[in-house]
Amino acid sequence: MKRQLPLLIVLVVGIFGAAAFLIPHPMVRSVDEVFRNDVLRIIAAFSLVLGIGSILRHHFMKIKRKAEHWPFSYITVVALFVSAVIGLFGGIDPARPGILPTHIGGFSFHIQTLYTNIMIPLAATMFALLAFFMASAAYRAFRARNFEATLLLVAAFILMLGAVPLTRIIIPPLPDFAEWILAVPNTAAKRGISFGISLGMFATSLKILLGIERGWLGGGGS
Amino acid sequence: MTAPDAVRNGFWDRLQRIDRRWIYLVIWLVVMIPLLLPFSIKPKAMPPVEKLFNYIDTMPEDKALVISVDYTPDTQAELHPMAIALLRHAFATHRRVGVLATAVYGLGLGEEALRQVAAEFNEKAVSHEDSVISGEDYVFWGWSTPFLTVMLGMGEKITNVFPVDYYGVATESLPITPRIKNYNDIGIVMSIAGSSTPLSWVTYAQTQFGVRIGCGTTAVSAADYYTYLNSGQFTGMLAGMRGAAEYEQLLEDKLTAAGSSLALRYKATEAMSSQTAAHIAIIVFIIFGNIGYFVTRRRKS
Repeated sequence: MKRQLPLLIVLVVGIFGAAAFLIPHPMVRSVDEVFRNDVLRIIAAFSLVLGIGSILRHHFMKIKRKAEHWPFSYITVVALFVSAVIGLFGGIDPARPGILPTHIGGFSFHIQTLYTNIMIPLAATMFALLAFFMASAAYRAFRARNFEATLLLVAAFILMLGAVPLTRIIIPPLPDFAEWILAVPNTAAKRGISFGISLGMFATSLKILLGIERGWLGGGGS
Repeated sequence: MTAPDAVRNGFWDRLQRIDRRWIYLVIWLVVMIPLLLPFSIKPKAMPPVEKLFNYIDTMPEDKALVISVDYTPDTQAELHPMAIALLRHAFATHRRVGVLATAVYGLGLGEEALRQVAAEFNEKAVSHEDSVISGEDYVFWGWSTPFLTVMLGMGEKITNVFPVDYYGVATESLPITPRIKNYNDIGIVMSIAGSSTPLSWVTYAQTQFGVRIGCGTTAVSAADYYTYLNSGQFTGMLAGMRGAAEYEQLLEDKLTAAGSSLALRYKATEAMSSQTAAHIAIIVFIIFGNIGYFVTRRRKS
């Protein structure tokens, strides 16, 4: 029963979810709407509780065991609580205050202020580092070792040059040629890959719905 | 081996083993210097950008533009200028605008973009008609989850999906709501994302309800989306910083032709000089790396 009930729920709900896409009957639509607007959201709310519980447990354990880099766990936990409290009760910005005072004189720490001044610079900095790693990797690893690698290298050259407006002045047809590479050979290859992936997804979905693939139940094995 | 050969081979050997920090320094310089001393490059719009611009420019007046902020702060440099340019275009042509976020991290970026562009227009407004007002001319629905519920639910009734807007106001009470009830009132949904969210918009919103979808994406993801562009599932596409700069250029040309007094900063266009220099630097790195590789390989063989 412990295994059969989840399998039955997946079978019924999964087939209904797919069928609702194809049956425009008002009754099917209305049940589907309840599933999407209410049931899915309730499940999403539970996953939020699960996620917060999981992250807190992980970091409290790290602090308790004094595991590697444990002081950073304090930062995660404090940031989680502070942003949650300010986000829930502190208002969006100075023009839209909440029930919690989130400014001291001219210094504001509303959620939008925190987001603009902490979240955006941190995330943008992490992503910007990619440019440095990519340049270093291109210099060390991008070699014309064989025919395939040379083809890749030439295509990359054309696309990189085609992406800069200066090229249109120096070699006018190159940006259009770069666009052609993306629109024709690239699309042809991607279509083939997409068909393969889609058929694979369809087969895997069917296996899950019919209970052939049971790895998601946990405990290992099909 | 002659003495000049030894010197030459030593040079290429050293170049092959160069400390990566020198490469980082060069990249930092070629990005920073053009930002401080920009050189003007006027981008020419490629067909995917031109198609999108022309569609938004000429879509029926009673249709709204919806921007789905599906990107997060890490891709802000590439994608945020797209949201700004689209909002400017919509407000300049008096389109109604709806903004939402399917990624919770995108909420702040959506709010920032709306605030900035609304302020640009309101500063120059001389009448109520020229001004851009929240709830009347645009609505920021905010975020809801899961995205499947949002994309399918918006086809039936948007107020069911977003009972209150981002600022906590009941959406039913907003003057704009009767004019954007569902996808029937929307000309195009622009999904701006560094992830595969635009494909979900095609799967759920377009397939089920027939709404047009446009896509703004990072340059690295653009190759994945040409399939959907060629099939017509995407009306148009903005790919990376260049796509944003091309859209900005088309908008600037339009505003200049219309005699607009808005003095706007075009951040993607400004950044193109930096991106050009970085691309050229990487190409030079690859050329030097390959010359070094062939010289040392010939010597070994």
